[in-house]
Amino acid sequence: MANEPVDVLIIGAGASGAAIAWSLLETRMRILCLEQGAHLSDQDFPSRREDYELARYAEFSCDPNVRQLKQDYPINSQDSCITPVNWNGVGGSTINFLGHWPRMKPSDFRTRTLDGVGEDWPVDYHTLAPFYDINDQNTGVSGLGGNPGYPEYTPPLPPIPIGKLGQTLAKGFNEMGWHWWPSDVSILSQDRDGRQKCVNAGTCDLGCAAGAKGGTNFTYWPMLESAGVELRTECRVREIQVDENTGFAKGVLYHGPDGQLHEQKAELVVVACNGVGTPRLLLNSSSKLFPDGLANRSGMVGKNLMFHPLTGVVGVFDEPMKGHEGPMACSILSQEFYESDPSRGFVRGYGLHSGRSTTPMTYALGGYGIDNPIPWGAEHREIMDNVYPYLAGLTVVSEDLPEEHNRVTLDPELTDSDGIPAPKITYRLGENTRKMLKHGEERATELLLAAGARRILGKSDDKVWWRAGWHQMGTCRMGDNPETSVVNGWGRSHDVKNLFIVDGSIFVTAGAVNPTSTIQALALYIGDSIKTNIETLFD
Amino acid sequence: MENWTGRERTQLDAILDQLIPANRDRNIPAAGELGIADFLTAEANQNSDLCAAVSALLAKAAKLEGGTSPDVVRQLEAALPREFKKLLIATYKGYYSRPDMRACFGVGEHPVHPEGYGVPPEPPEVIAELTAPVRARGPFYRDPAR
Ligand SMILES: Cc1cc2nc3c(=O)[nH]c(=O)nc-3n(C[C@H](O)[C@H](O)[C@H](O)COP(=O)(O)OP(=O)(O)OC[C@H]3O[C@@H](n4cnc5c(N)ncnc54)[C@H](O)[C@@H]3O)c2cc1C
Ligand code: SF4
Repeated sequence: MANEPVDVLIIGAGASGAAIAWSLLETRMRILCLEQGAHLSDQDFPSRREDYELARYAEFSCDPNVRQLKQDYPINSQDSCITPVNWNGVGGSTINFLGHWPRMKPSDFRTRTLDGVGEDWPVDYHTLAPFYDINDQNTGVSGLGGNPGYPEYTPPLPPIPIGKLGQTLAKGFNEMGWHWWPSDVSILSQDRDGRQKCVNAGTCDLGCAAGAKGGTNFTYWPMLESAGVELRTECRVREIQVDENTGFAKGVLYHGPDGQLHEQKAELVVVACNGVGTPRLLLNSSSKLFPDGLANRSGMVGKNLMFHPLTGVVGVFDEPMKGHEGPMACSILSQEFYESDPSRGFVRGYGLHSGRSTTPMTYALGGYGIDNPIPWGAEHREIMDNVYPYLAGLTVVSEDLPEEHNRVTLDPELTDSDGIPAPKITYRLGENTRKMLKHGEERATELLLAAGARRILGKSDDKVWWRAGWHQMGTCRMGDNPETSVVNGWGRSHDVKNLFIVDGSIFVTAGAVNPTSTIQALALYIGDSIKTNIETLFD
Repeated sequence: MENWTGRERTQLDAILDQLIPANRDRNIPAAGELGIADFLTAEANQNSDLCAAVSALLAKAAKLEGGTSPDVVRQLEAALPREFKKLLIATYKGYYSRPDMRACFGVGEHPVHPEGYGVPPEPPEVIAELTAPVRARGPFYRDPAR
């Protein structure tokens, strides 16, 4: 079945798809977004139920292989030590993300020049800074201005409370003389634009029933839909089609809610399916012109997959830390070990994030994203009564380096419910990252002791967290050279002049911060570049 | 439909009491006495893997001597580790999804939305004092453009 052609077709209604739609609104072009999932209705938020924690292990797991909802696609992660996690629906993974909102730092965009690793980006921090600012306003970001870890900027809202846990750790950082700062968060510290401020419920991964968290289901999409952007949900794109004569993208084939195949033509196609979904779609869109996958003459589609491998260290304190009160991921962030220092034996660096503790069930089952239940019997009693309430921890979030062998390919057998080949992840931890994580664990231990921990809980193995694939980057990287990159400095495919990619797959390097503020700043920048170059867009 | 009754139910309750024992001083009940077997029964009826695991563990337990002491439960764990882990996970889920049990560990009984928790924001002067040593160090980043 064919539909009326549109000017701009965006695939994916997550963080980046929403941001670029907003940027293109003023062009008055006809914009359509196809999203494989649905809107989340108010009754769907499990945090309104008494047994809300159960949802974390079922229909609201961050792992699509656990959820197995109709809109999810399976991911084969057997050849990886980390599995990607996500949400598929309006808002994308900002539905279950935790709202930690640090920016990348100026040095992150120049790792080749500064440290001889990765590649330099074709854009820099200062080019993106105004777009970070616009996006912070649109999203409602809380934080404290004047962080000496960055060029000057001030988030629009005051910081959320750092709480007892944050204050305790902050004193430890001061004791050590190390950098720390209250986290920037895309979480409202004050009511704003009809959205309620954060009520410190601590279940940000279960969607935010208050509307305080900056998921695009609460921020951009209500604005966009009322401004006339068409959002067609439960529509899964099977392939992007190209015109064999012009080499331009002409539109897509997608499965609608009826399961049938539909055709949608468009002048300009924007892919925003995230660092796994985007290479999957391009690889599934092979044709005579592009036998190895659409826009893949460089061979780089799917390669250089980066996560932020992480590990955690937890201390037991004398007083209850009330770690379950407040947004899950964000209290304070230290970037003391962020920049390269050759004396440490590795390049680049990591952040130390204060992790709040979780609710009792999640703790008993091993922690967020971990399937390793704590001991039973007398030891269980001791842990739950005398350890759990007194915990405060630090998460070591490391910078992954781009390595071609870490990649997304198509699984030869596994498919989603529409029969579309599923992605397969091949990923192993680099030696540099391993050293970084070890260094981080040691520093985190020192810090917790300085902050007053009476005991440090040891980890029984040297594994990274399995479900730490929250951030998926690098699989369609930007660059000036068409032989080594998939898109140019403003997101346009080198090979297909009316095809743009705007999600985390275009990252050149990963930095050691959560990526979404940068993903959206980039999407706004790409939207701006499209507007600036509109006369010569397809040349 | 699985419904462990009679001897099996008594045995299941006894095993659950070992997995999460009571804290009598703080009036925290053990998992068996709290009736977590009912939760397991309901779950097992939706999940054939769990049903098979619990049934296998009960069959094995019936053959072991010595009542249901921690040692016997340890033997069960050693003999059927995969099944035991399934039971353990389901037991923790059943026990800690009870609002009254959450409250024993300082976590609210209420659904966390809409009420949440009242955490007062720190007064700006407290944050200013805490961050003073960090600010005193001055700019702390590399900027290749400057
Ligand atoms: C549990 C969790 C915690 C996180 N915490 C943080 C955090 O604290 N801070 C942070 O910065 N980041 C965090 N992240 C990561 C953050 O959510 C992502 O970086 C961000 O959402 C990525 O934006 P995106 O636009 O690239 O993709 P997404 O937001 O994932 O959106 C992609 C959309 O595309 C749709 N789609 C995919 N394929 C198709 C198709 N073929 N047809 C139609 N639609 C399709 C999907 O359904 C999805 O809705 C977290 C993620 C998770 C899962
Ligand atoms: S803690 Fe705040 S941001 Fe997180 S879910 Fe609750 S209200 Fe939303």
